[in-house]
Amino acid sequence: MINKKKKTAMYIAMILITVLVMFPFLWMIILSFKTNAEIMSSPLSLPETLNFDNYKNAFATLDFLQLYANTFFVCIASLAFELVITFCSSFVLSRMVFKSARLKKMIYGFLIMGLSISPFILLFPVYKISVALGLHGKVALIFPYVATSISFNTLLLVGYLKALPSEIDEAAVIDGCTIWDLMVRVILPMAKPVIATVVIFNALYIWNEFPFASVMLRDVTDYTLSMGASFFKGNYTVDYGGIVASSIMIIIPELIFYGLFQKNIVEGMTAGAVKG
Amino acid sequence: MYWLSKKRYKIGLLIPTLLVYCVFIILPIIIAVGYSFTKYSGIGKARFNGLDNYIRLFGDRFFWISLKNTMIIFVLAFTLLLVLSFLIALLLNNKLKGNDFSKALIFSPAIIAPIIVGIIWTYILDPSVGVINGFLDAIGASDLKQMWIGGDTLSPYSIAFIYFWQQLGYLVTIFIAGLKMIPEDVLEAAQIDGATGAQKVRYVIIPMMRTTISTVAVLIITGVFKIFEIVQQTTGGGPNHLSETLVTYSYSMTFTSGEYGYGMSLATVTFIISLIITGIYSFLTREKERGAK
Repeated sequence: MINKKKKTAMYIAMILITVLVMFPFLWMIILSFKTNAEIMSSPLSLPETLNFDNYKNAFATLDFLQLYANTFFVCIASLAFELVITFCSSFVLSRMVFKSARLKKMIYGFLIMGLSISPFILLFPVYKISVALGLHGKVALIFPYVATSISFNTLLLVGYLKALPSEIDEAAVIDGCTIWDLMVRVILPMAKPVIATVVIFNALYIWNEFPFASVMLRDVTDYTLSMGASFFKGNYTVDYGGIVASSIMIIIPELIFYGLFQKNIVEGMTAGAVKG
Repeated sequence: MYWLSKKRYKIGLLIPTLLVYCVFIILPIIIAVGYSFTKYSGIGKARFNGLDNYIRLFGDRFFWISLKNTMIIFVLAFTLLLVLSFLIALLLNNKLKGNDFSKALIFSPAIIAPIIVGIIWTYILDPSVGVINGFLDAIGASDLKQMWIGGDTLSPYSIAFIYFWQQLGYLVTIFIAGLKMIPEDVLEAAQIDGATGAQKVRYVIIPMMRTTISTVAVLIITGVFKIFEIVQQTTGGGPNHLSETLVTYSYSMTFTSGEYGYGMSLATVTFIISLIITGIYSFLTREKERGAK
C-alpha cells in the first residue's frame, strides 16, 4: 500500500531520530576514554588511546559499592513500607462498607490531593520535621519517599481493587477466611499486576531522586547515587573525565535494568501518566 | 464486604497511611506557609513579619526573571514536545522493521536520573568543552559559537531543549498508545473515501486523539514546574541568578542563602501557580469524562 520511496524516507527518518537521541549517550562513552587534557583542549577529537584512567579515578574518589548499597537500602525500605501501608488503606477504601459514603469519598479525595503538591515546597519543612523526630542520614529519606508515593499508590490501587468483584470477599468469608486471610491470601495475589506497576514507578523515582537527597544527606557515607553523581562538581578543579566515568557507572546498571524489564517499565510509566 | 467492615479494622488499616501523609505532606505545607510570613535565618527563632516577604517578592527582579525563564521553558518545551512527539509517534506507528528497537532507545532518556541528564548535556552545550561549539570551530563557523549555557540569555532555551530530549520518547510512547486505540475500520473508511495522509491526520486522527493530547499537554505543563536537576547541574541558576527557574530560585534562597522565610514565600507562590495548573487539569479531565458519555 505504501510505496517504496515513502517507506525508504520513513526508515531514514527513524534511523536519524534514533541516532540523534542516542548521540549524547554515545558521546559520554567516547569522552570517558579521553584524558582531562584532551577533553579541554580538543573537545571534538576521539580519544587517542583507550585509557581507563577516568574509571580508576572515579573508583578512587567515590565508593560505588557504598553508593549502590545506600540507594538499594533506601529503595527497598521505602517500597516495602509504602506497599504495606497503602495496600491496607486502599483495601479499606475500595472494599469495605462505610456507613457514610461521603466520609469514604472524603478520605479518598484527601489522599489523592497530594498528586498536585510539588515536592519542592516540602523540602525545608520535611527537613525540619525529620530533625525534630531525630531522623538523619539515609534513614531520613524513607518517610518523605513513602509520603510522596501515597497519592499515586492510592489512585492506582483503589482503582484496581474496586474493579475486583465483591463476590470474592463473600465466598472467602463463607469459607471461613478472616480479614487477614482475605487481604493477604485472596486479594493480594489478584493485585499483582497493579503492584508491579506501583513498584516500578516508585523504584525509578526513588533511584533517581535528587532534591530530597540533597537536603537530607550531609555525610558522604550516606550518599545515594544521584548525590554521588553531583559529587565531583564544586571541587576546585573540575575533573571532567571523572564526572563522565562515574556518570556512566551509574547509567549502565540503569540501562541494563531497562533492557531486562523494558516492557514493564514502559507500561508502568505510561500507566502512571494516563492515570495521574 | 459488610461482615468484615468493622470499625476497628477500618481505623487500624487506615491510620498508618493517614499518619505518614499528614506528618510528611500536610504538616510540611502548613509549616512552609507559616514560615513564609516570617524572617528566619535558621538560627534562633523565626520572627513574624507579616506580608513583608510577599511584598519583597513582587519587587524582586530575580523572581520575575525566574518566572520569565520558567515561561520560556514552558512555551518552548510545550511546542516542541507536543508537535514532534506526535509526529514521531505517527512515524513509528507504521509497520517498520526495527521500530520497537527504535522506540526502546528513544524512551531511554526518560529513565535516567535527571541529575545525570544535566551532566550529559553539560558536555554538549558547555561553551568551552562542549561538542556544539567544538563542531562550529571545526567547520570554520566560529562566529556562530554561543554561550549555550552559563551565558546571560540562552540558558532557559537550552534547558527547554534538554527537557525535550528527556521527555520525547516517553511522550511518543503515550501517543502511540493513543494511536493504537483508534479503530482500524475508521482509518480504512477514510482511505476508501480518498483521504490523503495529511487529511487523515487532520480530520480523523487528531479529533479521535483529543484525550491523549490533553493528557500529554498536562504532563508537559506539570513536568516543566518540576525541572530542577537539569538547571542545577548545567548552570546552577547562574550567572547571578539569570538562569533560575521558580523552583531553583526558591531552593537557592532557602538552602544556599539561608533565607528560609523568603525561600518559603517563593515556594508558596510556586505552589499556588502549580495549583492553578491543577485546576486546568481537572477542568480538562471533566471535559474528557463528558466526552466519554
